[in-house]
Amino acid sequence: MSAAGDAPLLAVRGLQKRFGGLVAVKDIGFEVKGGEILGLIGPNGSGKSTVMKLIMGIERPNAGSVRIDGVDVAGWPSHRIARQGVGIVFQHSRPLRRQTVLENIKLALLPDSLLRLMADPAVESRARLIAERVGLGQVLDRRPPTLPFADLRRLELAKAIARDPKVVLVDEPFAGLTSSEVGAFSELIRAFRAEGRAVLLVDHNVKSVAALVDRVLAMYLGEPIAHGSADEVMRDPTVRRVYLGGTIGAAARPESSFTDQVPILQVRDLSVLYGKAQALQRVSLHVHEGEFVSVVGLNGAGKTTLFNAISGLVPYEGEIRWHDQGLRGLSAAAIARGGIVQCPETRELFGDMTVKENLDLGGQHLKPAESDEQRDWLYDLFPILKERQGQTARTLSGGEQQMLAIARALMMRPKLLILDEPTLGLAPVVLEQLSKALERLRATTSITVLLGEQNVTFALPHADRVYVLDHARIVWEGPPDRFQKEAGATYL
Amino acid sequence: MLAIQILVDGFAISALYALGATGFTLIFGVSGVLNLSHGALMVTAAVAAWAASGELGLGSYAGAVVGILVCLITTFATYFFIVSPIERSRALPSEEKEIFVLTGTLLWGIMITEAIAYFFTSNAKTVLPVVNGVVDLFGVRTPSNEIFTSIVCWAVIGLLWLLVNRTRAGKAVLAASMNPRGVTLLGFDLSRIYITIWGIYGVLAGIAGVLLGMFLGVSSYSVGPLTASAFSIVVLGGLGSVSGSLIAAYVVGYLETVTAYLVSPAYRTIPALLLLVAVMYVRPQGLLGRRAR
Amino acid sequence: MMQRLAQSRLLWLTVIFLAAAVLLPLGGVSAYILGLLTAAYYFGVFAMSWDLLFGFAGEVNFGPTFLIGVGAYTGGILDNLYGPPIWLCLVAGAFAAVVAGLVLALPALRVRGPYFGLTTLVAVLMLQNFVVVFAGLTGGEIGLTVPDVISIDAGVNYYVALGFMVVSGVILFGLSRSPLGLILQASGQDPVQAGALGFNVAKHKLAAFCVSAFFSGLAGALLVFYLGTASVGTVVDVGVAVQVIIAVVLGGRRTILGAVLGAVFLIGMGEILRPIGELATFIVSAIALVVVLLFPNGFLGMLLRTKETS
Repeated sequence: MSAAGDAPLLAVRGLQKRFGGLVAVKDIGFEVKGGEILGLIGPNGSGKSTVMKLIMGIERPNAGSVRIDGVDVAGWPSHRIARQGVGIVFQHSRPLRRQTVLENIKLALLPDSLLRLMADPAVESRARLIAERVGLGQVLDRRPPTLPFADLRRLELAKAIARDPKVVLVDEPFAGLTSSEVGAFSELIRAFRAEGRAVLLVDHNVKSVAALVDRVLAMYLGEPIAHGSADEVMRDPTVRRVYLGGTIGAAARPESSFTDQVPILQVRDLSVLYGKAQALQRVSLHVHEGEFVSVVGLNGAGKTTLFNAISGLVPYEGEIRWHDQGLRGLSAAAIARGGIVQCPETRELFGDMTVKENLDLGGQHLKPAESDEQRDWLYDLFPILKERQGQTARTLSGGEQQMLAIARALMMRPKLLILDEPTLGLAPVVLEQLSKALERLRATTSITVLLGEQNVTFALPHADRVYVLDHARIVWEGPPDRFQKEAGATYL
Repeated sequence: MLAIQILVDGFAISALYALGATGFTLIFGVSGVLNLSHGALMVTAAVAAWAASGELGLGSYAGAVVGILVCLITTFATYFFIVSPIERSRALPSEEKEIFVLTGTLLWGIMITEAIAYFFTSNAKTVLPVVNGVVDLFGVRTPSNEIFTSIVCWAVIGLLWLLVNRTRAGKAVLAASMNPRGVTLLGFDLSRIYITIWGIYGVLAGIAGVLLGMFLGVSSYSVGPLTASAFSIVVLGGLGSVSGSLIAAYVVGYLETVTAYLVSPAYRTIPALLLLVAVMYVRPQGLLGRRAR
Repeated sequence: MMQRLAQSRLLWLTVIFLAAAVLLPLGGVSAYILGLLTAAYYFGVFAMSWDLLFGFAGEVNFGPTFLIGVGAYTGGILDNLYGPPIWLCLVAGAFAAVVAGLVLALPALRVRGPYFGLTTLVAVLMLQNFVVVFAGLTGGEIGLTVPDVISIDAGVNYYVALGFMVVSGVILFGLSRSPLGLILQASGQDPVQAGALGFNVAKHKLAAFCVSAFFSGLAGALLVFYLGTASVGTVVDVGVAVQVIIAVVLGGRRTILGAVLGAVFLIGMGEILRPIGELATFIVSAIALVVVLLFPNGFLGMLLRTKETS
């Protein structure tokens, strides 16, 4: 292992990746020396996970170089890159479910050989040592489905340690961990640095890794936007604008102006478990008829889980009431027909159908005349859709697809429209158009909207009230004008 | 003369194949299931029609209707007792569901085949045709039945096209094949869509089976080759692509007819199989199918 | 590991089963039953080879009879044409099967999902047609008769089959529990993770294919020299392929040894129901279907699973 000050162990230059028409990574370059931890930060859609996959060989770059201790591995298959000295800790634990913890670690110690027919005692003892080091010594003979979430993450770290890599890539190291577990994991990652390895941490939140990293590189829409120490990056104006938005004008109506007796949507003590991870913990919120409520939170905070629970797509504990009637037990399709329509993050368009056909499907539950009327109104709201009505959805740009998804949801004449991260991956000029459309929607109709966003610039101007969701919990509630002062600081 | 005969016969056979393959592809496209009891369903329809029209003396029209109904019932049985339980099973990890569906439907197909052989013997049977007589088509004496077969097949395919592309329910089905979650979000119950699909499949297979029975006759030995040719066609055309299967059906149908006439009837399945092998190597997703990645 | 083996339920079951198998001929069992079990043991090797490929490398081979058939016919044809000693024919059969396995694996491994299974199924159909078309060489639908057989004595044949099955079983089981087996399981369960841990997944799956092909082909050739004939109906037919898969599912996927149980059960059932005549296949298929739907983990799977959760 080289000590800090020598040539970098990981050197990325001019890295580029396109997925069809979408440019996920534009031109990224950075270096990490042995004994250093670099934090790669960016919101969802910024390209940071793609950069990690490109380094590991899970995706092939379109251009650029990735040098591991001087050797350019760009475009190599991932097993060769791994043998060159790169280890990765995936964001989502992926153990072999039918093997014991010990066997999982032993696997990571094996060479890529077809002739390994006899078990090597050295491998066994080394595996035990590694297990002790990460804190899995007591559960060596257990299988992953029986282990708690934090132990699964420990297993991922153990596998990385076993590889004895020169470069370690860690994806969202603390997601789903309690604060005490975070401390233990930070120690293990610091140990990597102490051993002279180069560590690249990828996360969406500077704050959570600030204590651990030596330097930070912030990304947005596939490009680097700031570089420096954690403090410097947090204070950088471009970063603040991307995460927090600039001055936020608000047109909020006070809660008292909504006249319903009981809020039409009530969520009480909602808890959701994804496998082992607590995706939502006793979340409570309510929405009045005609209100526009924004739920603001970084990705991983639980917004999508919240919306999926309301839409009946995931099992949950707690209570969700719509027009004061419990939603539990209703199928997702029934909930949608009942007036709660979600426009999900993934949009779920019918790619091979035209714009018009997608919209017409949304209007299926209306009479044909009503459906046509609704469609014309939406063409008015989103003129570009009228222009492209004969085009297949797959061929539309990102922004046009988002508008189609929202329009299609509106075709159902929803009483409550749930929008999940509509601005994901969209260019600023498109955000303008979307924002204007939402404004019109709010001004001309009495629709109720629940918006989930990490982009505060987008989420706040239209909102009457804001909730902040952080690590599965609601941590703040209030009108938008108080957000900057009270919640903004902790948000970045 | 031979050329015209090949053209005419090939057209009829391909039309039959096309009808059978369409149903098969529809099921795969929407619910991702490869039903290996397909041949058994078709033969069931033919044998039921034969029994009803001949043995029970109901006449050819009623017999045909009985055949289609029996096939529909058997198809629903396939869905409710075999495919659906496996798809919903909690005991199986999702990667393994596919092989269980394949094995399960294959076993079901074997059961049906053996039952038919037991109750009706394995001798070939021809269903009482609805249309009789011979017609002079471009100088070739062609059974009217053959022309009738081609017309009915294409009429049904045309109806199906109209149903899927022009009616609201049909569009929902098409959308479900592209994105099941999308249709759920728009308030459609997926389970109802699946039941509709399997119902349509049952009718398609039933009609194809009855027509086959009238045109060429069937026996319990026909089951295997029917399933094999259906999925060869569907793979060639591209799993999930109805237009692909239509084209592939004609390619396979004509390859078989040409081989049967010009080389020998015993070798007629070989060229199509060779083509299939070539396609597997070069373009595994077939003509118009989704990417095999 | 030796300690765990001694305590293992599996080991004791295996020992009991083997002891019974070895002692059976001495107990005055008829030559007919011995013959049945002989065929069942070869079938067991077919099934074990399939389990290695499916249960470990995670590849659903829908045409195991492609490999079996190539091995069987190569051995048989060689004997018919040139009459070399049996062991040479066996080696040739095994070798041919491995080559066939490679030829099948290369395109099949490049595709995912249903296409892989379909490719293997197409291979079987091709072989079936090939046998029929080149009837002069292969005996066509009637079948191929070979001049030599292993032995005329039922007892000798029985022990040869049993011995072969035990040796194959030990090797295949050993492989499954070895470090190589662990890598194979990773390649099957999570190829991306396996790659990130430095394993060449394609290479390992190809190796699994070759091992499976070797044992399948060798067992197929041995079966031919036991029966004295080779035919599409015994070594190539899709029906046989399905029976191999069912044997593994019945016995328990991913156990290797369960496959033998399933094979013996299937052949046994077929025999017990023979008096019923035509409905025998129906009943066996029905039973298999019920097992597939309600007990997907198979005999051994259920037995071993209860041990795990306790």
